[in-house]
Amino acid sequence: SSWHTSWRNPSDHSPRVCLINVHAAQPLCGCCVFSDKDLIYMCPFHGALKGKVFITNYRLYFRSTDMESTVTLDVPLGVIGRIEKMGGASSRGENSYGLDITCKDMRNLRFALKQEGHSRRDIFGELFKYAFPLSHGMPLFAFLSQEKFEENGWSVYNSIDEYRRQNLPSEQWRISFINESYELCDTYPVHLVVPYKATDEDLRRVATFRSRGRIPVLSWIHRENQAVITRCSQPLVGMSGKRNKDDERYLDIIREANGTPRLTIYDARPNVNAVANKATGGGYEGDDAYQNADLVFLDIHNIHVMRESLKKLKDIVYPNVEEAHWLSSLESTHWLEHIKLVLSGAIQIADKVSSGSSVVVHCSDGWDRTAQLTSLAMLMLDSYYRTLRGFQVLLEKEWIGFGHKFTSRIGHGDKNHADQDRSPIFLQFVDCVWQMTKQFPTAFEFNERCLVTILDHLYSCRFGTFLYNCESVRDSNKVRSKTVSLWSLINSDKAAYVNPFYTSDCSRVLYPVASMRHLELWVNYYIRWNPRIRHQQSPVEQRYKELLALRDQYLKKLEELQLSDSTPSSARLTNSSTPNAPLPNQHLTHLQTPF
Amino acid sequence: MTMEFSEHIKTANVDDVVLKLPLRPALKGTLCVTAHHLVFSERKEEGSYQLLLLLRSVDAIEKRMTGLSGSSGTIVIKCKDLRILQFDIPGMEECLNVASSIEALSSLESVTELYPFFHRPRELSLSEPWGLSSPQQQYAQTERLWDRWRLSKVNRNFSVCMSYPRTVIVPCAIDDITLAKAASFRQGGRFPVLCYYHRSNGMVIMRSSQPMTGANRKRCREDELLLQAAIDESEMGYIIDTRSAQQAQQARMAGGGFESKAFYHHWRRLHRHLERGKVLQESLIKLVEACGDPSQNMDRWLSKLENSKWLSHVHSALSTAGLVAECVERDGHSVLVHGFEGTDTTLLVTSLAQLILDPASRTFRGFLQLLEREWVQAGHPFRQRCAHSAHSHARLRQECPAFLLLLDATWQLGRQFPLALEFSEVLLLRLAQDAYASDYGTFLCSSEQERCALQVKENTHCLFQFLLRREEREKYVNPLYEATDLAIWPSVHPQSLQLWTGLFLRWTEYAQTMDEAREEIWTIVKERKETDRPKGCAHTTLSRHDSFTNVENLMDELTVL
Repeated sequence: SSWHTSWRNPSDHSPRVCLINVHAAQPLCGCCVFSDKDLIYMCPFHGALKGKVFITNYRLYFRSTDMESTVTLDVPLGVIGRIEKMGGASSRGENSYGLDITCKDMRNLRFALKQEGHSRRDIFGELFKYAFPLSHGMPLFAFLSQEKFEENGWSVYNSIDEYRRQNLPSEQWRISFINESYELCDTYPVHLVVPYKATDEDLRRVATFRSRGRIPVLSWIHRENQAVITRCSQPLVGMSGKRNKDDERYLDIIREANGTPRLTIYDARPNVNAVANKATGGGYEGDDAYQNADLVFLDIHNIHVMRESLKKLKDIVYPNVEEAHWLSSLESTHWLEHIKLVLSGAIQIADKVSSGSSVVVHCSDGWDRTAQLTSLAMLMLDSYYRTLRGFQVLLEKEWIGFGHKFTSRIGHGDKNHADQDRSPIFLQFVDCVWQMTKQFPTAFEFNERCLVTILDHLYSCRFGTFLYNCESVRDSNKVRSKTVSLWSLINSDKAAYVNPFYTSDCSRVLYPVASMRHLELWVNYYIRWNPRIRHQQSPVEQRYKELLALRDQYLKKLEELQLSDSTPSSARLTNSSTPNAPLPNQHLTHLQTPF
Repeated sequence: MTMEFSEHIKTANVDDVVLKLPLRPALKGTLCVTAHHLVFSERKEEGSYQLLLLLRSVDAIEKRMTGLSGSSGTIVIKCKDLRILQFDIPGMEECLNVASSIEALSSLESVTELYPFFHRPRELSLSEPWGLSSPQQQYAQTERLWDRWRLSKVNRNFSVCMSYPRTVIVPCAIDDITLAKAASFRQGGRFPVLCYYHRSNGMVIMRSSQPMTGANRKRCREDELLLQAAIDESEMGYIIDTRSAQQAQQARMAGGGFESKAFYHHWRRLHRHLERGKVLQESLIKLVEACGDPSQNMDRWLSKLENSKWLSHVHSALSTAGLVAECVERDGHSVLVHGFEGTDTTLLVTSLAQLILDPASRTFRGFLQLLEREWVQAGHPFRQRCAHSAHSHARLRQECPAFLLLLDATWQLGRQFPLALEFSEVLLLRLAQDAYASDYGTFLCSSEQERCALQVKENTHCLFQFLLRREEREKYVNPLYEATDLAIWPSVHPQSLQLWTGLFLRWTEYAQTMDEAREEIWTIVKERKETDRPKGCAHTTLSRHDSFTNVENLMDELTVL
């Protein structure tokens, strides 16, 4: 029973702390074993594998007991989206009775059990309970975790500090405390940067005309030309084409702050969707009402379209990758096309701002597409956000702070897998970031592993970072005091998440090429479970760094050996050339060309 | 300038020409036509831009009249390296003259009129060695070949095989008379010769053209003996035929054919269909069309990329090479590769298999030697295959981008194994360019025989020698290179193969930022190497250590990691 010692999983690097305690059954870090069972993992790549599964309140861990196979599975329960029983007590066929688990991270798991004696009842019950704790009146794992880290990730972001970094408040912009108790807008953060000339009373009146009170507030200001990115939700125009003088005047104040001749309003939606929103009381800024503004639609589709697109993508990469018509199948998912639209929207915004014009960005509610656009534009404009810490600040500010509905979009701890609110908006954003890192390999301090880690813990519920829909709910659940931040994990082991080729002096505006020709599928993420697809080109930098680390380690060891034994005699090693650690990718993996 | 050239130049200089290049604002200046170049000089006092375009690199030219009543003209030049330039020329007559000069001078027929015969840079001398190695050297350096293989000069006058070099490596047991007879049984005289010896198990890769069995199943004892002598009695060899079984059958009607099992007992034949000739050329044209399609919006790019089938040709090349390498390294069999003529897909497969298997061919020099051996000396008809690239509307004759496909597949290897190749993408791009139009003589002609007849080696400079000069070499080296003795098995899933954007989207903004990034990475790696140097000294002394178990344990650990 030494299964945990040989545990090694390249995709999840840290929760060893937890795991080691599994067997001792001492819930040191809030993690305890509930069940271990013999069953068969129907691995799509290696076939049926006998093994043992352990379920804790944090993870499902499987280890094959076949002598020849070393397959392990390590799945945080938060990743599980859906658990179904497969087959019945009377179904025929080998391995037809068991469990079918759909994960949120592009894989499905299938376990087969013996048909007699309701053998799956316990395991199904336990999994169902701990994978969906909120549906069972239990807390998310993040509230049970006792993990300790050197760094405290909650100290990474403080909105006032971030505004100060942007030289705010300024003559034109002030920090308003109007939302101190979330009265103006319950999905906004506490501190808002608004035009100096707008009084709190103005803000209240504008809030009545913006969906869910999400008024235009400043996200970023250009150090030299003082042009700003402001974000908000749609105006409540409705079928009757209502107008609101306060809102109109407010946008004009934003425009005047740096003397922008014409304010550009970027509506992330396709034109028709914006029109359709009028039926439900929403809409867009009409030409007559906002005379000094230009409205641009960015044609980005809604959360439902994105969800379906990712579903199609999953169909062609898991469990089997489409071979014969890979590119046209990929095209038919439209995933890259959506990425392209989001990126090119952000490029337009960044370009407008760097030319000195202020912009307003919104979609319907201003927490999905808007967050994608503002944060990507800021990533292009401001090199600070391209650092490891700056990127964390960006996510804290534009996504977490401004109320991207993580709970609804991911469905943390909730059994309702068909919830129409779920959508991979944040994943799509991270994909866009990855596309940018591909095009500018030396401009980002964080590496691919950092992005993958963020996505893994988007689902894992191990950290409090991505829990809940907005700050007000986070406050009332005391997330900062009761859970650990994901940045604690990352910042305690920075070296692992840093791009060794980062050159900090690259402070210019980065415009990625958002043409389909230059976008590629993020194979290392979407197809990472398939061992037959080499994770090639996977961080060149990563491998380089690993190699250096291995070599250092090796040399250190040799030095130690030399110290402990001072008779240099044999020639065996001399022949075997220099100590080149075989690279992980250069093992003899089998080529799929059977005779 | 000789008479022939000046005949073609009616207007040598035009002023006030506007040049439009990708990614640059339009420039105004003087255009000058010389025997081998187009020279454009911007009319500016300081830092003026100069363009020197080798006329040979012009693939296609379009001219159209513009301006009021056709008072001026526009020439669009599509280069073999896929760049597109536009000149706006005042004066219709000048425009027509320049266009016809470009047309004539870019397609000179005689090899000795081409620029490599005139290129005389100060730093190079014609007395320097031409080429990197010869079969003699290859043989001399591989001691373990000696008991079983010999050098044959049966082709010393190119009389046995027009497209082979003078010397080749063949089994000791086969004398020159037998060779000559075997040659008469193979298309173009390309009898089976050794091209690679696998040190770890003594297996070899050979290549040839198809046997001329014909409709009535002729056989040739000498050819059978030759193949028999290449392997042991007890061994089994594999013939990888780069045609489909059906194609091989049909080839008999035209006098060709395949090795029948009845006569070649110890050889097993496998068919792996690789496209060639016109099909490949059309694939390239489709791909380049898709890449250059200006309608960037929702233009079904991925479908177009798929329809061009270029990546599936890359796939076939790599997987067939992988199969050969698998035979040799994993299963311990010798392999003979051939298709029809044995001058295109055959070379593609043998050279890729060597890249997969042989660490020596992944070094800078080793790769150039590989190209020299497997393509230049082995008689790939560069002259016909690379006469035009993807733009030409001229009726295509024997164009085929087999060499480009090799470079692409090599790029895929480099992408999948970023540390395994000593050379970088920049070298592959340079070779892609020079194969089609060059200052150097390396890719001129189609065989050694032709090169000798035209005295190419005496009158041109060698590209490979030039690239290996220290100051050049630096530009083409992969900063991340770490030698590995292991074979590098590529993944050939469509998800693992990517469009070579560096080549096909070379003239875009993207390529520029990638160039910059590459330079930055270079700088960082260099700095790091400086600081690491003391450690480098450490391990030479340490490597003489005798606590092997410990070290080996550590190595195992590293391997697992």
